[in-house]
Amino acid sequence: MGYAVANLARREPAIEVDFALIGHQESWRAAADVLAVLRGGELTALPDDEIKDILPWIPPRTVCHVDIESMAGGNARGLYIDCFIPPDRLEAAYVHENLARVRAAASCAIKSGAKIVSLGGFSSILIEGNFDQLPEKRNTVFTTGNTLTVGFIVQGIKKMCALEERNLRNATLLIIGATGDVGSGCARCLAPVVKRVLLNARNIERLRRLATELEAEGVEVELSTDLQRFPTQADIVICAASLGRPSLLLNRIAPHALVCDAGYPKNLSPNAGLFGATVFFGGLGQIAGGLRFTPDFFGILNRHPFPNVVHGCLLEGMALALEGRFEPFSKGRGFITPKRVAEIETIAARHGIHLAPFANADGPLERQSEYQTQSSRGWVRPRGGSESALVTSVREG
Amino acid sequence: MKTEGQIEPVMDLNGSPIDRSSLSCHAPIWQDILAQAVTGEQLAAMNYTSLSEICDDPAEVADALEHAEGERGHAASFAAEGRKIGVDVDNNVDARHWRRLREAFLGCIAERDFIGCLIVQEIMLESFAVASYARVAKVAPGSLGETFARIAEEEEQHVDHAMAILRAERALDPERFDDKVYRLHLDVMTTLAKMLAKECKDGHCEVCHASCVKPSLVDVSLSAAELRGASLEQYLKALDMLGLPGEVTLQWVTQLPI
Repeated sequence: MGYAVANLARREPAIEVDFALIGHQESWRAAADVLAVLRGGELTALPDDEIKDILPWIPPRTVCHVDIESMAGGNARGLYIDCFIPPDRLEAAYVHENLARVRAAASCAIKSGAKIVSLGGFSSILIEGNFDQLPEKRNTVFTTGNTLTVGFIVQGIKKMCALEERNLRNATLLIIGATGDVGSGCARCLAPVVKRVLLNARNIERLRRLATELEAEGVEVELSTDLQRFPTQADIVICAASLGRPSLLLNRIAPHALVCDAGYPKNLSPNAGLFGATVFFGGLGQIAGGLRFTPDFFGILNRHPFPNVVHGCLLEGMALALEGRFEPFSKGRGFITPKRVAEIETIAARHGIHLAPFANADGPLERQSEYQTQSSRGWVRPRGGSESALVTSVREG
Repeated sequence: MKTEGQIEPVMDLNGSPIDRSSLSCHAPIWQDILAQAVTGEQLAAMNYTSLSEICDDPAEVADALEHAEGERGHAASFAAEGRKIGVDVDNNVDARHWRRLREAFLGCIAERDFIGCLIVQEIMLESFAVASYARVAKVAPGSLGETFARIAEEEEQHVDHAMAILRAERALDPERFDDKVYRLHLDVMTTLAKMLAKECKDGHCEVCHASCVKPSLVDVSLSAAELRGASLEQYLKALDMLGLPGEVTLQWVTQLPI
């Protein structure tokens, strides 16, 4: 039909997008909550079986707009793009399907004109060694966000040790998922300040390469692909493995151990049986200046007992956007160094992005400080530069 | 069971694998699937004929009538596939959901809304047709599967053609265009969502020849959930291609009845 196919050159007014965040939900509960917000409160919530039927068919797309404010005075606008990877398809068997979803989400980000894109959760894991598989980028750059994730994991370990009066210098550190970008970054940052490092991962060749690198710096290193070999020896454990579901068991872990679960999805099984060990979620930061989702996904996209807490990988893109540094800060696998971590931490801190208060699956491990308790939903303004105060470290058991 | 001395053909003359047992024992299921397809094609033919009546340009009139003829050809092809497996394929464009879809289209005709007609037929109804035919094509044996695959491909070409017209129209006034799509979505996609629901909650669809075919789809490696999922995916992708914001269309789809 020859109906006026004209005027295609006319464009819509463009909304400037500083950053895009690519992510996915780590559980069916989280996915259900996202769909419930979209469906609205007036309609009956979708039953679980319908959610499991519908979600796999949703093409990757923008879910909401994200506005952030810097403590230095600026602000940035962004988008959250969900890959809609079904939470039970995060396993290796679905890698090609999931990679296609991440690529489609990346295309959405590029089409939106986002200047920088942070890759969250599995999207980062899938892409970190395959940046060449991203679509043609025009003026959009991608960062895995792993450097700031490492920064917050390391900060968390150091802070928790200080609060519990543990001597990091005498500690034996176990890193599970040590050869990944995050795991190896943590190894480089923490190896110089602990007594001994135990490395665990599935790929023996990569383990050997990392061990050689650390040993060259004078670090005492042991490696194993057998996870059950190390837990009894470890004082501190970082869980940074790429697991499709929380399935990690740390049998015979020392009761005094400090365990940082930095996975997304979480690594530790709910039945991990970590009797006596202190467990906290790592790699998380908090935006003091403010974070707003439109529509309102507060507490849905950032499921954490404290407000404005987001994974470091996503915060890296936001921090760089606030800084006006649109560059692929974290790219590839195995390039995270203490120097780069310090650099991104400085940028983040300048804009009021700091280590999040501690929490684990049972809830907060810290008391909320004044500005957090008095905050309005989703748009928090601090009353002075306050620091969260640790009131207790919860011993599980 | 094969006995000694018998040679059983494994390919038909068109080179397609034959699964006679599947076709014969599942004939009542294919009969209902074909009845929905024939009804959809007959309705599309009626819609294009109606569209020809509001076109001013003789070329557009000819185009619409050609489309109508094409849809009638599709209906005939599906009916012929039914005869091959020994079933009569009825159609019922007055069945409750199909009648509602026709009324929505006629509403656009009454307003001489050419663009509205294209949105209903090419974006909404064809998304459903392309996606569900493609899924059926994957599991239907022999020429039945080939026919579904061929027609899915031809319907997709319609969509491509309409897309250029609709994108041009949206470029003129995106807000007005998106409002129109939403208004039609509420009517047409709500009806389609009811049709595609896992269970027919409003009673018999008036197309299936006996009881509802949906619970039996699993016997031919299909499911109502899969057909709905594929259709909604195709619809969302079509709206993406038109340039509608993905976050908005996602909300529309999540608000459809289940």
